[in-house]
Amino acid sequence: MTADVVIIGCGPAGLQAGIHSSRKKASTVIIGKLQNSALHGTHIENYFGLSETTDGSDMLKNGLAQALSFGCRHIDMNVTGAVRDGDEFRVTTESGEEIVCRSIVIATGISRRKLNIPGEREFLGKGVSYCAECDCNFYKGLRVAIIGDESKAAISSELMTRYASEVYWVSENISADVKLVDKALGAGVKIITGTPKGIRGKANVESLLLTGGPEIGVDGVFIELGGRSSSDLAMDLGIMPEEDDSLKVNSSFETSVGGVFACGDITGEPWQLAKAVGEGAVAGHHAAKRAKDMK
Amino acid sequence: MNILVTELTDNTFDKFIDDNSIAVIDCWAPWCGPCRRMTPIIEKLSSELAGSAGVAKLNVDENPAISVRFGIRAIPTLLIFRDGVLVDTLVGLRSEEELLDYIKTM
Repeated sequence: MTADVVIIGCGPAGLQAGIHSSRKKASTVIIGKLQNSALHGTHIENYFGLSETTDGSDMLKNGLAQALSFGCRHIDMNVTGAVRDGDEFRVTTESGEEIVCRSIVIATGISRRKLNIPGEREFLGKGVSYCAECDCNFYKGLRVAIIGDESKAAISSELMTRYASEVYWVSENISADVKLVDKALGAGVKIITGTPKGIRGKANVESLLLTGGPEIGVDGVFIELGGRSSSDLAMDLGIMPEEDDSLKVNSSFETSVGGVFACGDITGEPWQLAKAVGEGAVAGHHAAKRAKDMK
Repeated sequence: MNILVTELTDNTFDKFIDDNSIAVIDCWAPWCGPCRRMTPIIEKLSSELAGSAGVAKLNVDENPAISVRFGIRAIPTLLIFRDGVLVDTLVGLRSEEELLDYIKTM
């Protein structure tokens, strides 16, 4: 599949970028899950023109409907990778679909990484990890639990089967694409439905405690929430994130890599709806312009 | 311009710790995204601390003995030594300011 513009992220910045891009007649694909936006489940009262407190989830649904009405296509999935290919880019979704595009807008927001459960901080580097890709090699022949519901947990679980003796994927409610789940199961991952409550051990991690009592004996706990993180996606595309994970942009909201734009919380504070929407409009406009100029 | 930071191996590690009263070792691997983000920070740190502390890198993939010896299970990990004794292990991406402040108080 091809598109002029691919927008990664389905929050207010991404949706507004989609609205502006499609209004400029650029073929536009928005990839992301509405429920992963920081706006989902919140109430807004400081946005211009609102006469009363407004439900953030409703704003997202209306924004998506608006974007679709202007011709955007929406893929309700996570992105698992993005690479440069000459002047173009290749973006892969968790179902394995690849989209070739001329401009990318990163509007993923700030990735949530932590569970904030007892033992998580204490055992960081002593069995707790946030990066299976980085730390898989330290768990050869050991038992690990991967925590998360989405594509990142699925991919990390499958990866860890090449190193660990036992891989338990602990999820409250799996929402990764069925192909990723099947791949993990085929590799020998054991799925455990439950909610992590605490991580226990002495010098290193020894077990993961779940709500309701079950305790799983493991040597490592990998916390792999959501999809591929914004900073990993940026690095896939050749952009070095700032120390606080934000991405530097110019006045067109283009990053250090031509054709890759960024908007919303990922460009830094303040993490506010008004800023996200404004930046999305500018990024969408310039992303569409670049794509059309290349034709 | 890239600043050259000493690359240690399992064989040169101990001598570097002995030769520097304060030694900061960045344990990393090339496939690790946060490690690659640490690289410019470590380069700046090496330059800032020249003459007062030794800053070096150790590829854990090529040098597994040091990882096993210090129980490293996540990267990037910074091993901090004073007079040959391990005084702290910092796990995860850290800012240049945070590291400079930390080392200057040693």
